[in-house]
Amino acid sequence: MTSEWTPDHGASAERTRLAWRRTGLSATAVALLAARPAFAPPAGTGFALIAGAAMAGWAALIALAYRRSRGLKAQPPLPGRRTIAAYASITVGFAVLGGLVVLL
Amino acid sequence: MSTSAVNNRRVIGGLRQWFNPERTPRVGQPPDYRFSLANERTFLAWIRTGLALIAGGLACAQFLPPLPIVHLREFIAVALLVLGGIVALRAVDHWARTERAMRTGADLPASRFPAILAIVVALGALLLVVAVLLRAMP
Repeated sequence: MTSEWTPDHGASAERTRLAWRRTGLSATAVALLAARPAFAPPAGTGFALIAGAAMAGWAALIALAYRRSRGLKAQPPLPGRRTIAAYASITVGFAVLGGLVVLL
Repeated sequence: MSTSAVNNRRVIGGLRQWFNPERTPRVGQPPDYRFSLANERTFLAWIRTGLALIAGGLACAQFLPPLPIVHLREFIAVALLVLGGIVALRAVDHWARTERAMRTGADLPASRFPAILAIVVALGALLLVVAVLLRAMP
């Protein structure tokens, strides 16, 4: 791998970092919606567990995005690999949590 | 080797490729990093689409009043959640296949998925329009 660093006039690393941030904001909305039933009056243990899982998933997503944006600061930026698959897996996990919220 | 074993191997290879498109199979040359980053942003845009569908499902379950048809609300919510999950899985698959194609210099993978998703969303919207109109009638 002999890729020389050339100045990037398209700011692709920065745009990618901002795309991670936007995605993190969307994930925040989803995590809050998944945690919400735990704070409604008749909430049981199930909803509390779901809220805990949602918060943990949210923290993991934010940590992944943070790690990735450090990789993007390198010159040339490091390619994202496992971070991407992990991010998608946690997103699917949120879909499953949502299913539990609906069915409980 | 039986067909199912081959299929299993292909599925496992695909899964491994999700986690590391560069290592397995170790093919081609690393592409210009700008192309990789563009691929990554496309992945993130799909993930946001998936998250939006999941948020829609959660919102339906929590904010819609019970609908006249039994469990219709739950059905809509679960449908949106499943769609969101599929979008996220397909996002990482497409990302890995694109990354691989860029490394080998092959054509970028074509996909019917955007068209299918568009049709599914349009059909869902149409169903809801019908439901609203039925409800508006006395």
